[in-house]
Amino acid sequence: MSVDTSVDLGGLRLRNPVLTASGTFGYGAEFAPFLDLRRLGGIVSKSLTLEPRSGNLPHRIAEAHAGMLNAIGLENVGVDAFIREKIPALAAEVVIVASVFGREIDEYAQACERLSESPRVAGLEVNASCPHVRSGGIEFGQNPQLLASLVRAVRRASAKPLLVKLSPNVTSIAEMAKVCEAEGADAISLINTLQALDVDLETRRPKLRNGLGGLSGPAILPVALRMVWQASRAVSIPVCGIGGIMTAEDAVKFLVCGATAVQVGTASYLNPAAAGEIADGMVDWASRRGVSRLADLIGTLQPWS
Amino acid sequence: MIRAPLRADASVLENEAMGAANRRLRLLVPGFEGFEPGQFAMLSPGAVGGALRFDPLLPRPMAIYRASSGSAGAEVEILYKVSGRGTALLAQARPGEQIRFVGPLGRPFPDLRSDRVALLVGGGTGVASLYELAVRGARLRAGAVRVLLGAKSARDLMGHADFSSLAVAVDVSTEDGSLGERGLVTEPLARWLADEPASDVYACGPTAMMRAAAALALRFGRRCFVSLENPMACGFGVCLGCAAPRRDGGFALVCRDGPVFDATIVDWERLA
Repeated sequence: MSVDTSVDLGGLRLRNPVLTASGTFGYGAEFAPFLDLRRLGGIVSKSLTLEPRSGNLPHRIAEAHAGMLNAIGLENVGVDAFIREKIPALAAEVVIVASVFGREIDEYAQACERLSESPRVAGLEVNASCPHVRSGGIEFGQNPQLLASLVRAVRRASAKPLLVKLSPNVTSIAEMAKVCEAEGADAISLINTLQALDVDLETRRPKLRNGLGGLSGPAILPVALRMVWQASRAVSIPVCGIGGIMTAEDAVKFLVCGATAVQVGTASYLNPAAAGEIADGMVDWASRRGVSRLADLIGTLQPWS
Repeated sequence: MIRAPLRADASVLENEAMGAANRRLRLLVPGFEGFEPGQFAMLSPGAVGGALRFDPLLPRPMAIYRASSGSAGAEVEILYKVSGRGTALLAQARPGEQIRFVGPLGRPFPDLRSDRVALLVGGGTGVASLYELAVRGARLRAGAVRVLLGAKSARDLMGHADFSSLAVAVDVSTEDGSLGERGLVTEPLARWLADEPASDVYACGPTAMMRAAAALALRFGRRCFVSLENPMACGFGVCLGCAAPRRDGGFALVCRDGPVFDATIVDWERLA
């Protein structure tokens, strides 16, 4: 049977619910040898800052059990080079969501404004896991007042569909989701990586040069499902589920827990065609069970009676 | 010619122990059309087939040792050493099992120059990156290439028989003197650099060996190309995990800008 795969993610009309997670998909063109990007719901760029950044000293990544830690340090080409060089490399049918980062609210707002000028940018995803300089390095996404100020500012800066990517390193994800909704976000994306530490026992130093890093991969999937479920019950704007998706079944679980769409991240490292295979696999999954619209799966988690 | 990489479910044809912790893996890789000397592939054992496993999670970068066309299709050979969880899992892959293959990846060694002698310096598993270069050197002309292989002991030495079957000179150094000259492979390198004024260095091995080879080449005013190794998650320039510090300040990605670099652009002090 044919399956209707289209979803509406806060005004982003997607041909299917599978996007790629920021920071794991470069600027898209890197995947051209492996995957037709037009098969995806969309791509989310590496987080972009107003000026290019060169990132942290190595070691930047470390493997963990069923996961990995990273502290790349926001290396990116900057907003202008993205618009000038990276966007033109992508076919017109590719839905582009630009991820945005800044050390100050004003940097976020300016970057959003610049990116919104490009007709090819379909939407913005604000990465709220950046340490705020003036608040002593606390992440925007860890403090409700800071998060509210950030979302308010970027909302004013752009009329494009606005997603806010939340940090999981909080006590109440529902509270952060409500803040985003109240300040005019069109959707929320979660989760970003879990703050983590691993040790090289030979040197007794952190495995990462930065000390702390972010944990991603299949190890974090159940944590992500829990947070997506909690956040989606707290707000009426759509949720984009992220965290350890390796297979189509993983992606379907996110829909069942309340996500309208998903992002495939670390899986693209292991298998550069993963996002496309997951999109196809969701159709197979639904087709075999007589589900005619993927959107019908959203938020269908059944309680134990 | 640098070919676009492909992603394939490769079948294990052979996975044999070669002495010490060294192993040789022969894969059937559908669609593989060849590679350039120094290019590599990302291998994920366990990520393909019925019972998926995601621990260890990340694929492992491996130099492509040799490729040929067999009766069933393109074959790729990999030499590796069991040194951690990923290679331990790889060592368990039996003939008929599948391994995800992404490659060929990275920028290769530059073409050998017909007016120079190429000194190929390999240490440990690094020798695997140099074999195809030696093959091409043997085809170029007699004496185009001299191979210097180093290992801890004769048992650890990789690829010796294969290199020796080529029409190239092969010198062996072992740290314990169990085969060839006793000592580090950089000792014969220093002599050949002195004896052979029109020579270039192509090195792959432990960082300390490449650092020493680069310093020697610099002292003799010769070109030196090194193939760096770094942990990486993707192999094609998106995870940004394999950054190596450049002498001019920024970073180069080992997977995309390398693995082969002109030794003079590498910041050997800051290289982990």
